[in-house]
Amino acid sequence: MDRRKLLRGMFQGSAAVVGVPFLDCFLDSKGQALAATGQRLPTRFSTFFFGLGLTTKLWVPQKTGLDYDTTIQLKPLEAFKKKMNVFSGMRVMVDDNPNFQHWSGNAAIVTGIAPTKNAQFDSKTIDQTIADVISRGSRFKTVAAAASGDPKHCYSSLGGANTLPAEPTPMSLYKRLFGPGFQDPSRGDWKPDPQVMLQQSVLSVVSDERKDFMKDLGPADKARMEQYFTSVRESELQIAAELQRPEIVAKVTIPADPGEMVVNYALPNVRVATPLMAKLGALAMATDQTRVFNLAISEPGSNIFVPGDPLGYHITTHMEAIDLTLGYQPKVAEYNIYSMELLASMLKELDAIPEGDGTLLDHSLTMAYSDQSYAKIHAVDGIPIFLAGNASGRMKTGFHIAGGGAPVSRVGLTVQKAMGLGVDGWGKGSMETKSLYTELLA
Amino acid sequence: MRKRVSLALAALLVCAASEAMAARSASRDPVVGLRRLTEQEYRNSIADIFGKDIAVQGMFEPQVRMGGLQSTSAMILSVTPVGFESFSKMADSIAVQVTDEKHRGKLVSCKPKNPKAPDDACAAEFFSHYGLMLFRRPLAANELQARVKLASDMTKSTGDFYNGLHYGLAQLMQSPNFLFRKEAAVKTASGYTLDGFSRATRLSYLMWGSTPDAELLKVAEAGDLNSAAGLEKQVDRLMASPRLEAGMRAFFSDMLELDTFDTVSKDAIIYPKWGGAMAPSAKEETLRSTIDLALHENGDMRDLMTTRKTFVNRSLAALYDVDFTFDNDWMPYEFPVNSGRSGIVTQVSMLSMFSHPGQSSPTKRGVAVMDIFLCEPTPTPPANVDFSIINDTHGALKTVRERLMAHATTATCASCHNHSDPIGLSLEGFDTIGQRRLTENSTPIDLSAKIGSKNFKDGTGLGQYLHDNPKYPACLARKLYAFGTGVNSEDVETSTFKSAYKSFIDSGFRMRALLKGMVESPDFFNTPAPAEEASAGQLTKLASQKR
Repeated sequence: MDRRKLLRGMFQGSAAVVGVPFLDCFLDSKGQALAATGQRLPTRFSTFFFGLGLTTKLWVPQKTGLDYDTTIQLKPLEAFKKKMNVFSGMRVMVDDNPNFQHWSGNAAIVTGIAPTKNAQFDSKTIDQTIADVISRGSRFKTVAAAASGDPKHCYSSLGGANTLPAEPTPMSLYKRLFGPGFQDPSRGDWKPDPQVMLQQSVLSVVSDERKDFMKDLGPADKARMEQYFTSVRESELQIAAELQRPEIVAKVTIPADPGEMVVNYALPNVRVATPLMAKLGALAMATDQTRVFNLAISEPGSNIFVPGDPLGYHITTHMEAIDLTLGYQPKVAEYNIYSMELLASMLKELDAIPEGDGTLLDHSLTMAYSDQSYAKIHAVDGIPIFLAGNASGRMKTGFHIAGGGAPVSRVGLTVQKAMGLGVDGWGKGSMETKSLYTELLA
Repeated sequence: MRKRVSLALAALLVCAASEAMAARSASRDPVVGLRRLTEQEYRNSIADIFGKDIAVQGMFEPQVRMGGLQSTSAMILSVTPVGFESFSKMADSIAVQVTDEKHRGKLVSCKPKNPKAPDDACAAEFFSHYGLMLFRRPLAANELQARVKLASDMTKSTGDFYNGLHYGLAQLMQSPNFLFRKEAAVKTASGYTLDGFSRATRLSYLMWGSTPDAELLKVAEAGDLNSAAGLEKQVDRLMASPRLEAGMRAFFSDMLELDTFDTVSKDAIIYPKWGGAMAPSAKEETLRSTIDLALHENGDMRDLMTTRKTFVNRSLAALYDVDFTFDNDWMPYEFPVNSGRSGIVTQVSMLSMFSHPGQSSPTKRGVAVMDIFLCEPTPTPPANVDFSIINDTHGALKTVRERLMAHATTATCASCHNHSDPIGLSLEGFDTIGQRRLTENSTPIDLSAKIGSKNFKDGTGLGQYLHDNPKYPACLARKLYAFGTGVNSEDVETSTFKSAYKSFIDSGFRMRALLKGMVESPDFFNTPAPAEEASAGQLTKLASQKR
């Protein structure tokens, strides 16, 4: 009987375990986690995007360093306090560029560059830069999901106006990851799919067209077509990966297809989609379908709404009055907390996957960030940024770093270093930096 | 022996093609535009080339709106890895269908001598034909050869001739030559103008929303699209075809921003009537009524702003509170005079797309009307604005109007709000899902508005205001030009569509006259100098200045 069918069948009733459980003997002498095959586990990277920031008064801890105070808005993340770092007071310096509302902040965090055009990136985004280095050999270079159902909610790009479309539903994400083309690493009779080999020849003819196609193009179109042929190349690499028996075998359960559901801005739906997508992303990383996973719960300027609230999150940030007694916008503060709860739901999924001496969360790094610090006035100084997971031991966690006006690019640079990239500096203009948070690097 | 003959035949074919191409490739024209096929263009092209029963399933990369049109972004977007993966799968699935046992009799014009072995002559015939249709120009010799060889290799690996064709065809559809409309220009005495095949392509994707057919490509190759008479003959043929509707649907769908519906969520607690079927129904109502006026009735396009005629289905009938007495899905309907409904701005689509999840928004509606129909985009509001006073529904300010007026007294806000708000306020007689209402928080709604010296009241008044505003037909002409050429509507020079606009006015604002006037004007195919040349020119200028 087909093993995959058997597994699916079993899951209808209960859980199935794919692969071999990790045992201590799989750890090397330094205690580093190894896969069942003896291969060292790769460090994986994810991002979590939430729109409209938080309320400074309610989220920034008083104390810095280790053992900082848990604030009202960080409360949902308390379970992960020891496994994450919190960055406050980081600056986005736009220099001579406009502050594009709901764009400059998030674009600067992922590129280190203040965008010169609205809704465009001035360089490749950080997840892509990291994927260039860490993703070789995995099936998908990066995978993205959008928990309120719009494929445009993805802040991952090779540069320019193009963003990599996100999977807009748990079902589409599932099909992409575990539908046709998914190679169950634990299958005893695993062999490369001959269909896949034939696709390779097809793609090589596409690649051959490059020189001829580029010939008569102007510089802007040439740059666009470089992206196209990069995409072709990535497809070739994906196919090459599909022809290899996956080396990473994890103790995970591949669930059944989650099926159709309404995925939109209504908060109850976002609350269902977010952990589901996070779980699928985590499974994809555990089974080495991808090593980079981007999850966005909304766009910048989030249109998420609580049913019964006629305005929704974004409009509320602009229209709600500041309660003079409290000193902040109370309804907005509630929406802020929902974002943190959703982030916690993602971290929970990453932490739920056991790997060697720890969990997937321990062997990865998740960067969570937003577009504004104080959405009411589109402020970009002090946008909340969190780094969760200790990157297989390369990042120390449990700290609150008060940036004191340091450029946001310092966080991005530190992230790249922790992910093992050989970079010395990052960012442009006033945000160009060589200054790492060395105290966080192990 | 037989094999050798067929190989020789294929070689002959390839040689003949290569000779024809030699002339072409010797003087290759600079590329002035590279437009990624939109989802609709891709789907229409596949249906027109292979037939409507070929399923196209998969994800298309999103577009972004620039200058009021999504199609404009096709000029700057590329294909991401995720997008390519999807195009790749789609191409394979289409090619499997085209070459399967059910379709090959009709879609593969020749039969292989042996269905289990390569047949280069038959493969060359197949790829020449579909290459021409997919690339919108004949394949060059080396291009043809590459596909024939690929098919032959694949046939050998799989022992199936049709499988070879399948892989070769899938490759054609993953090629940038198919996925991007390449526009090449030739130099004329006064500047640059599109070459024949690029003309055929631009014409066809504007008028039919699809790829040029065999006749148009033939005429293009003969150079007939460069003469006024030759062009007119083809324009009239395209105009008479039922496919014109697909082209104009694509245009209006983009111009009216109906894709907004893809991401509109309404609050089911406040508005339980808004079900899953509502958004597609409202979108279809708007397209149907617009196409009916523009093409079927050949009506005055200004009437789009005032007509009470529309089409409703069962779900819309419930929302509009009208009896649905029809056996089919869609029923033509004319709203009574006192219904408050007149023109496209009072349709559910426009009213609900530009609203909050649970509350109407005069600002959103006003901004949308200005942008869509008057080509007057509103600048982004200043970053630091305090809106609190206008959202306190429990305070002294009961209606949205009172709340809006309160903040429009601030000079920085007023400069924009005085433009857009009166438009939106006149539509306050409709709630966020487009239902009619007379009061808000138990206070009667004041629907009066004043723009400049013009006073009007409610949706009907707004429709009349737009109907009489010369900016509206001019904006329609501008957007059509931008849609056809890929130029950002904000950068379109008025002079480029002047003669088309004159035809539009002279005809009494008939859409067909505007379209015909536009595509028959030389400006439609003229393009600025190619980028490289422009920068080279600038360099020369700089150098001479230094000297």
